[in-house]
Amino acid sequence: MRSSKTWIYYGGSLLLLFGAVLLGLMSSSVTISPGTIAGIVQSRLLGQPLPEGIPQSEASIIWEIRLPRVILAMLVGACLALAGAAFQGLLRNPLADPYTIGVSSGASLGAVCVIFFQWTFLGAFTLPLTAVAGGFVSLLLVFSLVRLSSRSMAIETIILAGIILSAFIGSIISLIISLGSQDEMTQIIYWLYGSVAMRGWSYVTLSLPFAVLGAVLLLSRTRDLNAMALGEEAAGHVGVSVQRGKVLILTGASLLTGAAVAVSGTIGFVGLVIPHLVRLVTGPDHRHVLPVSMVIGGAFLITADVAARTLIAPQELPIGVITALIGAPLFAFLLVQRRIGKGREG
Amino acid sequence: MMELQGLSGGYGSRQVISDVTLHVPDGSFFGLLGPNGSGKTTLFKLISGSLVPTAGSASLHGKPLSTMKPVERARHLAVLSQETSVSFDFTAEEIIQLGRYAFQTGLFKQLRAEDRQVMEDVMVLTRTTEFRNRPFYQLSGGEKQRVLLAKALVQEPEVLLLDEPTNHLDIRHTFDMLDMLKQWQKERKLTIIAILHDINTAALYCDRMALLSEGKIVEEGSVDLLRNPERLAEVYEVETWPQAHPVVPRPQLVMTPKNRGAERGPLLDSYSLEQSSGAIVLSFDRPLRSISNGVAGEGIQWMTHFANFHVDKQYQSRTPEEDVRRWIESRNLPAAQSIGMMTAVFLERAIVRETNVHGIPMLAVVTAGTGNAVDITSKEAAAPAAGAGTINMFLFADVHLSDGGLVNASMSAVEAKVKALADHGITDAASGTAATGTSTDSIVFAASQRGRRSAYAGSGTPLGRAIGQSVYEAVTAALQLEKEAGR
Repeated sequence: MRSSKTWIYYGGSLLLLFGAVLLGLMSSSVTISPGTIAGIVQSRLLGQPLPEGIPQSEASIIWEIRLPRVILAMLVGACLALAGAAFQGLLRNPLADPYTIGVSSGASLGAVCVIFFQWTFLGAFTLPLTAVAGGFVSLLLVFSLVRLSSRSMAIETIILAGIILSAFIGSIISLIISLGSQDEMTQIIYWLYGSVAMRGWSYVTLSLPFAVLGAVLLLSRTRDLNAMALGEEAAGHVGVSVQRGKVLILTGASLLTGAAVAVSGTIGFVGLVIPHLVRLVTGPDHRHVLPVSMVIGGAFLITADVAARTLIAPQELPIGVITALIGAPLFAFLLVQRRIGKGREG
Repeated sequence: MMELQGLSGGYGSRQVISDVTLHVPDGSFFGLLGPNGSGKTTLFKLISGSLVPTAGSASLHGKPLSTMKPVERARHLAVLSQETSVSFDFTAEEIIQLGRYAFQTGLFKQLRAEDRQVMEDVMVLTRTTEFRNRPFYQLSGGEKQRVLLAKALVQEPEVLLLDEPTNHLDIRHTFDMLDMLKQWQKERKLTIIAILHDINTAALYCDRMALLSEGKIVEEGSVDLLRNPERLAEVYEVETWPQAHPVVPRPQLVMTPKNRGAERGPLLDSYSLEQSSGAIVLSFDRPLRSISNGVAGEGIQWMTHFANFHVDKQYQSRTPEEDVRRWIESRNLPAAQSIGMMTAVFLERAIVRETNVHGIPMLAVVTAGTGNAVDITSKEAAAPAAGAGTINMFLFADVHLSDGGLVNASMSAVEAKVKALADHGITDAASGTAATGTSTDSIVFAASQRGRRSAYAGSGTPLGRAIGQSVYEAVTAALQLEKEAGR
């Protein structure tokens, strides 16, 4: 049985996350030692004055800039990886992309609208709420498209409908971009690349409620996801409430995707590659794949962000470029390896 | 008791199943038969909850299954489908464990000792223990199906629905799986409702069955409903012949292809005769439906070659059938289509006689030795002894007979033989009474199966008369030759 090994997965992945957080806090234009970081975090959390010998400027860098950035990266990475693992489990396809369902395209469109039209009707929450709402609307559109074409909400139809909607939304975003001024165009395109830079604590608090809600929804349905590996009908035969489970899983995953897209733009391949790598180590049991993916996804995006801000310092790369540069070849490799090594169906 | 009451339903506005009412007794193996598209799988989906009935209900012990939550339903009802693909690299045991989904309760939904015990028991029965840790996708088709069966059985269902569970399996794995199910059915009083593709397999395993056609039950009852070729022809549009399984008291169907080939010419134009001191071999250009007690090729068969081998008076063998088969093969005759007998009578004294009584063409080939003549009715009848004492009769008629007709024809032939022996004054050496035959007589009656089919060949029919006269003359002539030679 694999249960004896599970503590290694969790311990190992948490260790990786801790290392990534530390790396994210330490490295940048000014390197700050772990001891100093610990002192700063401790004082801020407990509301104490700064320990002796720690300059106020370093405290500001850690607390105002790096820590929110690291935590936001962790949050986004965790959200995307968890949503990806859930979509893959539900769609019964380890190569499925959480973006193919159309949720992230809808969330992007929502965010692009907020930026372009400078909507502020919901105050600071306008951006994440509109993104989540955009994700939901596209999910509803996909669902109704599927319901119109087949009664059973078959998995293949969902992917197809998601692709149709993504293509349509992509063209609307392109239209909006081309209608805008040079300045707006740059801003939107840069946002679309994805970034966790210069967001601050406010963005963390914006996305956290959605992330927590989505994670709770998904982590409570892991047994359903395992049963879905047999196909929806057979999952129903062992006692899964298939329709209900499916709606909850899709809702949770789209909450997570919306929460991530709203604060960081479109960062690809995290939700695709991380669950896949995790599955290679933990095996396919979703009771482990989901939580471990969540932790590893967080660690991965923190590390990718470190690379984004240090590779061509003092300039920064969009983080979406880093994840795509790492993720796409790795994904291609996995794809080819599957074919050559095992020659079996998903 | 599983009960379907006026169950109707289908896909969208298309109603596939209409007003199906069935009672499935507890602990029975219930077969659901019907041609493709008759709605078997749809009916299963209506029972298992995959489809919602538009009218009527399927209920277990009076409780409609459609009102149960999936979790509750899964504790009563399990389903094994014809083909299930499993995504990801789940191991066999992880798949089987999914069957306990509905039993895991509490906050953390962990497997308990009880769950593990059920899984171990089922894995032993389904022989899946040996590959429990192998990924499902690596297993063979038969092993996969055993794993899925195990997954269904760990649900500890009262009712198990099988949707063509053996569709992709060869006959070994098919019987293996059905034997397993039968065992579980008996041990656990499991009710099995099965869609089985193969009617003959269904006939062997089902206690009761129903025949579905165009979404309606047209027949329901014991497996004997298969003995209704007219009904089966209506439903399947195939000609079927119910036959008896030789060992199991169940019917088996044989099917007739529409194109049976061209009608052949007269029987007596179609054979060749080779006669030597070693053997008489009759070869026909077509298989004949033969009933025989010959040493090789006994029973009712389709045969083309008929051989009578000469053996020495002292011939003794523990394996006469093997010997005859060897002789058949040494003459390059197809063993599967040859009947072989043996006799110590010199084959030059064989009688070969074509007759045409009542317009029925017949051929009789008879060798007769009376050294072992026995009165089967006498208490003092002679014990079997060595000697040239066998009457072998090869009878061929250009007629079409049912199996009963073949039996009837051999009866007529034997009656004529007994009369010939009596008229010839052959007696039982021990009792001194009239002999009825010898201790080792053999017969083959072969029909060309041309013309009108008949079940009658007794003394009341022209065919019976023709057989009687033909056999009487041939046996008499053979006895005469033997008597003259003996002088």
